[in-house]
Amino acid sequence: MNGIPGSRLGILGVLAACPSLWIAAAVAAPPTSPFVAGFERFARRGDLDRAEAGRLLLGELGCTSCHAPGTTGPHPKRGPRLEGAGRRLQAKWLSRFLSDPAGTQPGTTMPDVLHGVSGKQKTEMIAALSAFLASLREDFAKLKSTATRPVAPRFHDKGDPSRGNRLFHQVGCVACHQPDAAYTVRPQPTSELEKLLSQLDPEELKELGLGAAARPFPSVPHGDLANKYTRQGLAHFLIAPESMRPGGRMPSLKLVPDEAADLVAFLHPNATARSLTDPKNTPDLVTAGRRLFLQFRCQSCHTAGRGLKADPARKPPPPLSQLNLSATDSCLANASGRQPRYRLDKQQAQSIAAALAAKPAPLTPVLSLKRTTLKLNCLACHARNGSGGLGPKRRGYFETAGHVDLGDEGRLPPSLDGVGGKLTTAWLVKVLAGTGDVRPHLQIRMPVFPVAEVLGLPRQLATVDSGSDAPAAKIFATSGTSAKSLVTAGRSLVDRGCVQCHPVRGERLPGVVGIDLDGTAARIRPEWLKRFLLDPASQKARTRMPTFFPKGKTNSPDILEGRVDQQLAAFHTYLADIGRQPLPEKITRNKVDNYELVPRKRPLVLRTFMQRVGRHAIAVGFPSSPHFAFDARGGRVVEAWRGRFLDAHATWFNRFIPPAAPLGRDLVTLPAGLAVNRLSANNAAWPDALDPVTGYRFGGYRLDKSRVPTLLYTVGTLAVEDRIEPSPQRGLRRTLKITTRSDQPAAWIRAHIGKSLQSREAGGYTDENGLTVSVSKTPGRRPGKLVRLGGLVEWRIPILVTSPITLEIDYRW
Amino acid sequence: MVKVNRTFRSARWPAVVLAMVVVSTESPVASANDESDYYRLVTILSSKAPTGSRAKFWKPPPRDLVLEVSGMAVVDKKRLAVSIRKGEVWFLDGVYDDPPKNVTYKRFAEALHEPLGLLKQGKSYLTAQRTELTRMTDTDGDDVADEYICVNNAWGVTGNYHEYAFGPRLDRNGNLWMTLNIGMGFKGNQRSLMVSNKSLGVSQARWRGWGVKVTPQGKLVPVCAGMRSPSGLGSNRAGDMFYTDQQGNWVGTNSLHHMRSGAFFHHPEALASMSLPGSPIKGIQAIPGGVPLPEAVKRLKHLKPPAVWFPYKKVGQSATDIVLDDSHGRFGPFDGQLFIGEFTLASISRVFLEKVGGEYQGACFPFREGLASAVIRLSQGHDGSLFAGLSNRGWSSLGTASYGLQRLVWTGKTPFEMKEIRARPDGFELVMTRPVDPESAQRLSSYTVNSYTYTYHSTYGSDEILKRDLAIRSITVSEDGLRIRLRIAGLREMYVHELHAPGLRSRDGQPLLHPSGYYTLNRIPAR
Repeated sequence: MNGIPGSRLGILGVLAACPSLWIAAAVAAPPTSPFVAGFERFARRGDLDRAEAGRLLLGELGCTSCHAPGTTGPHPKRGPRLEGAGRRLQAKWLSRFLSDPAGTQPGTTMPDVLHGVSGKQKTEMIAALSAFLASLREDFAKLKSTATRPVAPRFHDKGDPSRGNRLFHQVGCVACHQPDAAYTVRPQPTSELEKLLSQLDPEELKELGLGAAARPFPSVPHGDLANKYTRQGLAHFLIAPESMRPGGRMPSLKLVPDEAADLVAFLHPNATARSLTDPKNTPDLVTAGRRLFLQFRCQSCHTAGRGLKADPARKPPPPLSQLNLSATDSCLANASGRQPRYRLDKQQAQSIAAALAAKPAPLTPVLSLKRTTLKLNCLACHARNGSGGLGPKRRGYFETAGHVDLGDEGRLPPSLDGVGGKLTTAWLVKVLAGTGDVRPHLQIRMPVFPVAEVLGLPRQLATVDSGSDAPAAKIFATSGTSAKSLVTAGRSLVDRGCVQCHPVRGERLPGVVGIDLDGTAARIRPEWLKRFLLDPASQKARTRMPTFFPKGKTNSPDILEGRVDQQLAAFHTYLADIGRQPLPEKITRNKVDNYELVPRKRPLVLRTFMQRVGRHAIAVGFPSSPHFAFDARGGRVVEAWRGRFLDAHATWFNRFIPPAAPLGRDLVTLPAGLAVNRLSANNAAWPDALDPVTGYRFGGYRLDKSRVPTLLYTVGTLAVEDRIEPSPQRGLRRTLKITTRSDQPAAWIRAHIGKSLQSREAGGYTDENGLTVSVSKTPGRRPGKLVRLGGLVEWRIPILVTSPITLEIDYRW
Repeated sequence: MVKVNRTFRSARWPAVVLAMVVVSTESPVASANDESDYYRLVTILSSKAPTGSRAKFWKPPPRDLVLEVSGMAVVDKKRLAVSIRKGEVWFLDGVYDDPPKNVTYKRFAEALHEPLGLLKQGKSYLTAQRTELTRMTDTDGDDVADEYICVNNAWGVTGNYHEYAFGPRLDRNGNLWMTLNIGMGFKGNQRSLMVSNKSLGVSQARWRGWGVKVTPQGKLVPVCAGMRSPSGLGSNRAGDMFYTDQQGNWVGTNSLHHMRSGAFFHHPEALASMSLPGSPIKGIQAIPGGVPLPEAVKRLKHLKPPAVWFPYKKVGQSATDIVLDDSHGRFGPFDGQLFIGEFTLASISRVFLEKVGGEYQGACFPFREGLASAVIRLSQGHDGSLFAGLSNRGWSSLGTASYGLQRLVWTGKTPFEMKEIRARPDGFELVMTRPVDPESAQRLSSYTVNSYTYTYHSTYGSDEILKRDLAIRSITVSEDGLRIRLRIAGLREMYVHELHAPGLRSRDGQPLLHPSGYYTLNRIPAR
């Protein structure tokens, strides 16, 4: 674990003085000055105006918690919430930290408030403060264990360190924190840019203006986690950092409890870590600690339970605007030991001085955007306008899920160049709220920041990047082409190109990994989409997205007469409605390839739910079609169709089992009800299988050598073997084998039923839907008769089952 | 290791071998008290990665045998038959190999509608599909079924997704037992396919929420009602049939019930079928909802409390299959006890049952966690090992996979565990797997005991209510160190009694592998 804590921050001072040495500067002593990510990365290298850098520190070090910022000063970053400190911290660490914050947690922004005292007095103060903090025992958030997010009891002790190791290096931790030196990175395909960078020396890079992108930057130290936190405390911190550090400088990486446990196992191997002892037996000490807490103004930065208010009798620290830089008794000079000690280095002190001396700059959208991204460290992951990004030393950790080669786009966080012009404000809000992830192939995650910290960002980005609110109707000229034609054309265009790299509504061609096209219209501003479709590289440097309009001309001249504006409109019209439109053809076909039941060499059976057949459906498909579906509960052959058989996906894998639907064509309804029955009188109503008096019972089916099923059922004392298969006339032939006890031989076949039955010369009858039924091998060659009942005509044939009889019914349509 | 074992066995040196095996299993991490020291998992097949088990477009990885195990039948010393949720039955040969490198797969049956159980009977295999209890037989000897006989299909199916049918399990009289989920969240015309009990205001399809048996003549006999999601059933050594239910509306937490004629367990919607011919339950006119379970049992004589409650999260949060350890010691010290699958937490729990006043009650314990996915089926192999059939589609679980098959093998080491908790008139008797350190066992501070019950109501699940800490009055330890008598004040009938013994040590100084047990004290024995 030694390689993990971010201790190699040596570059700081050295770099500032001697830029050309940065590569050599690898290891040095831990920083004693407070570490503010934006300052370290940008101000140290002079990429940031000194007064702006100082202003950043004034906020990040919490200066303005005590020194009122007025209307123009920065909002202070809040310190950790201490309400649950007693449950998450360890005693030894806390004493050490209170005694020497920066020595115990290098880079901490917590000042040393006890530097003015020493010896016994200091020890007593630390004991009292510790007791007070130990008394703060707010429970950890209850993690509801649900069916979709299970939480094991004592989950925080059940992590797997090797999974934690992978997570730490994959999901984004090492964008800010120090990677483990022992972690091996899978070699990534090298981009052209990386090749270039690796061949240049620092001076050359600087000349090319590539210095900022190529420069490694120091890691945010996270201190000695195994001795600081309990495992439970760390796990809950990782799951919801904001609950303990409201400033959100450590954002949430959307870890589920299991993942947090894995990280804990990796970062915190000390399973026996105990939290602070509840000081319920030393109430006086707690009270004393509480007094000290207020005396040192700890409540300015920290919340620590109710009722902590500064003593109104005490004079508050002067506001920011009235600070006297030359005073000896200031936080900067700190001669008296009464002020908190910040251990600022020279550059930090100078920057703060510059900020205090500077006139407030007018707050333009550009400036507020810059300040937000600096303090939240957005540029740790994202590049924007040539600065920021993961940097050469960190890029290698981030891979594409499944190791598909999608280039840098498929593994690194997207550049923020012009993002406010690309994404709708509503979508940016979703992205920042953590519900706008569309790149499932990225292992690195977009973190979630506290709402209050990012509230203004979407609008700022839109303003700065001149996001166009023009509606699609204005952007895409349709000049009279009907919406229907546009959708059809759009579907064809998407089918020709987009589906090669993009899934649509979760469906994809084999191997395709990319952003799903569903929701494009909600995410992307029409104006940007148009420019992007016309010339992807103009909007996104080094994108893999190819152009479909080389030199402004379409490469599909056969669609919408090759008119570019019409095709662009077609793309948009289809994409905007893609949730309801049919999937692109190639994707439909591929879906079928996976889950369509294709009876290639033998018949296939599927038991499933079907809309018209019911819940006891037995669908049987034949290589030569037609196929049919039988209702086992109602004893009836319900429908038949030609062509494609069925898609089994829903039956096999959909939790809500929607009914399977015949895929093919020429769907026909077969004569209703039981084919065989007994009748009390010749003209009696045909008994229904569901009526218990009928005595219908399904018996299953048997497969013969050719795997054709023979359905078995009984109707009272009649036993029926019912075999249905394609006939030579491209219809179905049904062979009924009937047996019964010989004392009751009289029975009936109902061969057909319809609104009207037309007699055929060749024998048989045709109904109003074009279904012709003929009966061959009738025992006794009785032709039967037509019976009219309740508006329908039935073709009934009497049979005598004195011995097992067989008859064939042919269906043609 | 087992390979060594086999080689030596064939050379007829079993004693020597056993010694070697024991020594070599003990050597690594002997100090850590870990479940895997006693019960080792062997993965026969698992999906490469977990997938969003609730995704609308859920798909298995391409070209994978989607072994979402839904039923298992032990065939012989080589073969295991496995039904899978997409509707097939496979023969797996070589499943006992360790490591299982050469397992072969052969499809025996197909085109079944979500079969959720598998039973071998003679030459045939039986499964409960959504709509049918089916007997599959290979009649021509090619290991492929060519007869799919409908044994029974007399229960109602509206087409609702939650109408799962589980089973069958065989009893001594040749009856095939099944359990039928109630439907939830009905859509479209599904309601038109229900039966209703107007006075109770409940509707479900026929026999939904019931335990039924199908006689050897193929007749469906409804046995008991009030089930919510009875995803596991199985019998104990005495041949009595049990099922597990899952926490939800009307079900305070997961539970184990003895299925017997006329019993009503908890979910009132099952009573939609109460007035159908054949119902052994008659005359329930009102459901005493919203009161503590002991009160509800008092008010409604048909209502039978579960034999065992599984306190939520402490012993699982979604109980599934039931399997009897019938191995006479080949699976360790728990012979005759029941093992219960656990879906969400991908684990296995353990149950000890005893009869008090003619009814079953007993204790449950955590047993083994860390399986690759949700455990929905358990089966005991011929060598005593447990097969765990895995699939988490539709819900979600801990673990690394979406589905698969694992085998849990006893390493030969006996864990230090509370083997049994037995109710006594004035407390409990703990029966241990290994002798205790008498000093730690005599110490009052080695134990804590509390008790609570649940609310019987239409809300999803229940908190533990009316909780009380109980004082231990005295402790007696048997001379052999295997039995501890705890005399406890304030026992309450119908309450779960939760025992923790974190301070208890074995004679060689080990703490309990699982320091807690949970006894459902429906009745305090008179003697």
